[in-house]
Amino acid sequence: MDLSALEGLERESVLQVLQRDKVLRSLEEERIRRMRSDLQEIRRKGAKSFARQYSERTCARCQRPLGRLWDSGATCRGCSHRICSKCRITSSAHGWECTVCHAYRDLKIKSGEWFLEERAKKFPGGLDRHDTTGEKILKSYQNFSHIAIVPPTPPPFATVPSFNRSGGLQTSKPFTKSMENLFVSLTSHIKKISKSHNDVTADPALLTADSCSVYRKERRSQSDTAINWPFEVCTVECRRPSLSELLRQDRAEEGAESSPAYTDDDTSPGAELPLDKRGSVGSISVGDLGLLDPNVCRTGEIELGLGYSLGTSRLEVSVRACRNLPFGDPKRKKCHPCVKLHLLPDGSKLKTAVKRNTTDPVFNETLEFSMERPLLAGRTLQASVWHSGTLKRRVFLGEALLPLDGWNFEENLTQSARWHQLCPRTKTADIAVEQQNRGLLVRVRFSSSSSSPRQERRPADRPGGGTVLGQLTIQVTGTRNMVENLTKSPGCVNVSVRGLLSLPGGPRQSQEALLQEQGSGSLWSGRLEFSAVPAPGLQGASLELSLWDPAPQGPRPRLLGTARLEEASSWQRVQQTPARGMTLACPSRPAKPEGNIVQTRVTDSRAAGVPQHA
Amino acid sequence: MFCTVSTMTDGDYDYLIKLLALGDSGVGKTTFLYRYTDNKFNPKFITTVGIDFREKRVVYTATNSNGTTGKTFKVHLQLWDTAGQERFRSLTTAFFRDAMGFLLMFDLTSQQSFLNVRNWMSQLQANAYCENPDIVLVGNKADLADQREVQEKQAKELADKYGIPYFETSAATGSEVDKAVITLLDLVMKRMEQCVDKPAQEAPNGDGASKLAAPRPARKMRTVQPENCKIPPGNGISP
Repeated sequence: MDLSALEGLERESVLQVLQRDKVLRSLEEERIRRMRSDLQEIRRKGAKSFARQYSERTCARCQRPLGRLWDSGATCRGCSHRICSKCRITSSAHGWECTVCHAYRDLKIKSGEWFLEERAKKFPGGLDRHDTTGEKILKSYQNFSHIAIVPPTPPPFATVPSFNRSGGLQTSKPFTKSMENLFVSLTSHIKKISKSHNDVTADPALLTADSCSVYRKERRSQSDTAINWPFEVCTVECRRPSLSELLRQDRAEEGAESSPAYTDDDTSPGAELPLDKRGSVGSISVGDLGLLDPNVCRTGEIELGLGYSLGTSRLEVSVRACRNLPFGDPKRKKCHPCVKLHLLPDGSKLKTAVKRNTTDPVFNETLEFSMERPLLAGRTLQASVWHSGTLKRRVFLGEALLPLDGWNFEENLTQSARWHQLCPRTKTADIAVEQQNRGLLVRVRFSSSSSSPRQERRPADRPGGGTVLGQLTIQVTGTRNMVENLTKSPGCVNVSVRGLLSLPGGPRQSQEALLQEQGSGSLWSGRLEFSAVPAPGLQGASLELSLWDPAPQGPRPRLLGTARLEEASSWQRVQQTPARGMTLACPSRPAKPEGNIVQTRVTDSRAAGVPQHA
Repeated sequence: MFCTVSTMTDGDYDYLIKLLALGDSGVGKTTFLYRYTDNKFNPKFITTVGIDFREKRVVYTATNSNGTTGKTFKVHLQLWDTAGQERFRSLTTAFFRDAMGFLLMFDLTSQQSFLNVRNWMSQLQANAYCENPDIVLVGNKADLADQREVQEKQAKELADKYGIPYFETSAATGSEVDKAVITLLDLVMKRMEQCVDKPAQEAPNGDGASKLAAPRPARKMRTVQPENCKIPPGNGISP
């Protein structure tokens, strides 16, 4: 009963139909919920309470005193209570019923409970009585497609190892190790709950066959890794409590209010206890799953605006609002969200205020990171949304990662605000950041020849002014993720940097310098000087910086990586600040470990052809 | 697709009744339902992919035991349309268990489709929510009188044998279409009350023969009027 036999388009159209069905189903569920609360209302009205002395001589529904001879009431055939003449509803076939019995009967028909009961008689056990075929297919297919979306290394947050029906663990891949532990605690937790439930332990079969075993089987056939634990939780969560469950609840409620003599055993024809129990086990464990694994069904969006203030050198992030957040506490349907901002990989963290009891919080806060603009290149803004629960426990709700490379910062924060989809936390993000972050930090200074009196005259002689010459100084101040893995012992680094400056239509200049480590960590210094660089040509210039390991085992020096600086706007900024110079980040591509130098350079320069920095 | 549904997306109805049409490929299940929900006819044959459904809201007027009309209810009908093709069989039969009543259809111009009614009956017995669900036998394409292969008497006999009502309909002209659906709806409404009122003497689930043995007495029709809200069906596959 899966869709595997169908072709892609066919499957799509069937799923579309099932989606429509789902809309109708949710409508129906809502309607049934309303009807149930109405029924509860009627029951509550007539409940016998301690406040009033229960006696045979009052109507069980409206509490009106009944006479001995006149208006003495009569026994309802449904609930066997004495009912006054006003609380009876005449039904065509069987005389009359009291209001509650009638309402209950009505609900049983209108909610379709009759159908579920009938079907349960024919297909006892095994199948969840509430689930429709369409629902099941939709769920199993969602699982299926979800797996396809998950990246090759699934984030440990969303995964559990597959397990067989008895709860034993099967596969244990390294990344699921922690989830394995989590799951063990989870199963023990469920067992604990089950034990506390006397009536459940009375039936061991029910204890092990928890309500979603059917799906689990299905899913296992589709995927060995059983990635979709969250879905399973959902299936339990979404299950409607059965009508008889509700009535039992009511009875309990009513029983609490009523005097001991009053046993309201009415309105329970054909209630199936095993199923009820199963349902209650399910509903209890739901809450607990929610506690143990809060990473359930991430959804929601966040509205962020990014701007950069050149005057204060601050990155301004306007956290405006979130919408459709999941409940941080699914059990109590509560959510107190706040947003944390983090400039990955190493920037500072900022946090908004906590908004209470909302899944659509409006923050309208502007948080600022003090950071020079070039340093933003290669960084990623991580905006994570958290539910701040009781005892300062924070529950992750989702995050949005915005790579700041090439971000078009706007002056007006409100204009730049945009909605971003929140995703579950991913480990891959860190890797991506690291990748993006490879590069050289260089300080570029262009001192035009005006500082040198000798050279100043020369352009003055030529009125065209096309050849103002200057000196370009490149100082490598640091590397990011380029040489660390190479040097085993930090003391004896022997890396040289080679700079190749190409000017449009002009000659190429090559310079080489040794990189020296300053202190510990990845602080370096190495200086390249290009003299007689024509100023107007600089904007079209391209500077390629390559790092070399000059003393490897092989005969030739080994290329570690290249970085490229060739964006006109960068050069422009360099020229505008002649005295201070600019700190630029040159993104880089990793070099191939071994290989022909020329080839490597070609590939690298092509790859670095699109500069990533802002 | 379902964003166009405006008047029917509210939960303002009293009953959700799920009916399902089944029968051989090409007997006209889709056009039949299209005629019923939209009162239109599409002569083109577009094979249904797996499963589909249409919706319609009707006002149902209950009849009291003494024959007087009683309360009126809004009924939301979900009419499942199934593919008749063999290759979708496992999918479509899986949907049988969620339906409350069935329109078992055959083509009056195809003897084979009529012969297969027996197979469909056994499919229903195996997969439907109970052994003897409410079924209406529908012989479609009654307008094609010159191509007729199944005689009314033949079909009537079979229906009587199963104890189910029989209708000769035409999706092209619309004749008897409403009546067939309404009769089925009536049966289901009746069944609901029976199920709720007689939980103790419930027995016939075990023996499906009860339906085969005794033909039911003819039922009185109840009045059903369409509500003023119709929608075009959802996906583009069926007409």
